[in-house]
Amino acid sequence: MQLCEDHVRILEGSKGQGAQKAMEILVAYGKCYEAERMIPITSVHIAGNFPVLMDEGVEWLENLAGDGTRVRVFTTKNPEMYDSEQADEFRIPDFYRVRQKRIHEALKSLGVTLTYSCHHYLVGNVPRFGDHIAWASSGSQVFANSVIGARSNRDGDHVALAAAIVGAIPEWGLHIQENRKGQMLIDVGRLDLQSYDPSDFKALGWHLGKQVGARIPVFINLPPGLDIESIKGLLYSLTVTGATGLVHLVGITPEASCLEQAFQGNPPASPDLEPTQADVHAAFREISSASDEKVDLVIFGCPQCSIQEVQEIAAMLEGKRLHPETQLWICTSAWVKLLSQRMGLLDTLKSAGAKMVADVGAADGPHLYLKEQGIRVIAINSARGSYYAHNLFGMETWFGSTRECVQSALSGRWEGKR
Amino acid sequence: MITIKAKPVTKGVAEGEAIVSRMPISFTGGMDPNTGKIREPGHDLEGKSVAGKILVFPTGKGSTTGSWQFYAAFKRGCAPKGILNLRAEGVVAVSAIITDTPMVHEPERDFLEIIKTGDFVRINADEGYVEIHQK
Repeated sequence: MQLCEDHVRILEGSKGQGAQKAMEILVAYGKCYEAERMIPITSVHIAGNFPVLMDEGVEWLENLAGDGTRVRVFTTKNPEMYDSEQADEFRIPDFYRVRQKRIHEALKSLGVTLTYSCHHYLVGNVPRFGDHIAWASSGSQVFANSVIGARSNRDGDHVALAAAIVGAIPEWGLHIQENRKGQMLIDVGRLDLQSYDPSDFKALGWHLGKQVGARIPVFINLPPGLDIESIKGLLYSLTVTGATGLVHLVGITPEASCLEQAFQGNPPASPDLEPTQADVHAAFREISSASDEKVDLVIFGCPQCSIQEVQEIAAMLEGKRLHPETQLWICTSAWVKLLSQRMGLLDTLKSAGAKMVADVGAADGPHLYLKEQGIRVIAINSARGSYYAHNLFGMETWFGSTRECVQSALSGRWEGKR
Repeated sequence: MITIKAKPVTKGVAEGEAIVSRMPISFTGGMDPNTGKIREPGHDLEGKSVAGKILVFPTGKGSTTGSWQFYAAFKRGCAPKGILNLRAEGVVAVSAIITDTPMVHEPERDFLEIIKTGDFVRINADEGYVEIHQK
């Protein structure tokens, strides 16, 4: 891989140890994928919080930041473990406060913009069509490629952070036009998509991810007016059971206005996959891991709830009260929490007994301490959230639509599909 | 003994007992960093530990935070000693890079058809080949 003089000097250590480490990672990464050169990037997003970093990861981050290393590119950060404004109310153990604070200080020192949001594209990190970027967080990475048309590989945090520090990334994979052509055709025309809500699209994505693997699928026969929550639902689930980085939704993805464009010429004559309703039903059963019908916690926000989702949930809870033994949490960004407060939605939620938690996502952060507080069975409207809550934290999970989850919070028992 | 050429992802040499999966692996959620055990329900290695082994699998999947979990497993002595992939995926590649774990990919012959769990395998990531001593 060819390096410019600036990058050679970084590699030799002239810009400090942190920058040198970053350059070493990028060079090894570039060699692995036979990249010929480094290309400048415009946007970075990094993902990990304490449950995935663990103590070793916190130390790694502190070492990187130790000698005053800073990012050169606008960089945002995924959610943390808890809402610092509610740390006492939620009885967050000191053990976690100390660690979150250390991560916070290391990221601040690195110059990362502390959004603590996984909908960073709704709160200021918006690349343009065709921009080269490095977004960790598999869900938002596939969103950037497939909805915005920016170009990001499935870079883990270490690569994304290294790229932010150097300001460039090896050119390989999805940064290169010809590597963005569709590799398999999925026809969803056999499904009654008009009756679908976002949870059905999540179950569909879960089912298809296993067959798609790391390939680039091209979807046809999606409704052209498909709403953004359904698109996110499909894309974010695909990257849990699969490892795809780009999905062409014909008629929606900027570089896939038609089938020929998605395949860059020569589309296949017949579809590789034609999912049926039975497949989607089976996925619902597979995503849920619980057997006990008593629900301890209903949790929304994987990815973090948009203001539209908060409005939807607040409308369902208007004038009602949660079951006394069931909690309901809405995980979102600090921005959406502020908007909810301003619009009176927070009052509606509080009157019903629900909680809004900022800077947190429903997949990972809070489960560590919620488990310690006796929360065992959760209901969630995210297939992705169900997977991580179960596999990372041993939560028993029910997966269903937003409405089914809200109804479960009111009755205290699972009200959705089994 | 069988020798297969493959492309290096990192440097170094590692040898040990192979553990083979035909399924992609997610290090976040899919592997317990305290034990090295695969914990994804329905995975063909569910309940089996990859700690200290040569891990042979097709490719990575799942959360891009996987390299943190791999790094923690490595520091706790619960990571695999070497990795063989059919096709390196970003999260697995960077996991190997930050821990100096010898790793190769894109073999000239399909590893998964040749290596069985329990075979003795030596990865030479400096020169780009794998030696397999079948059990």
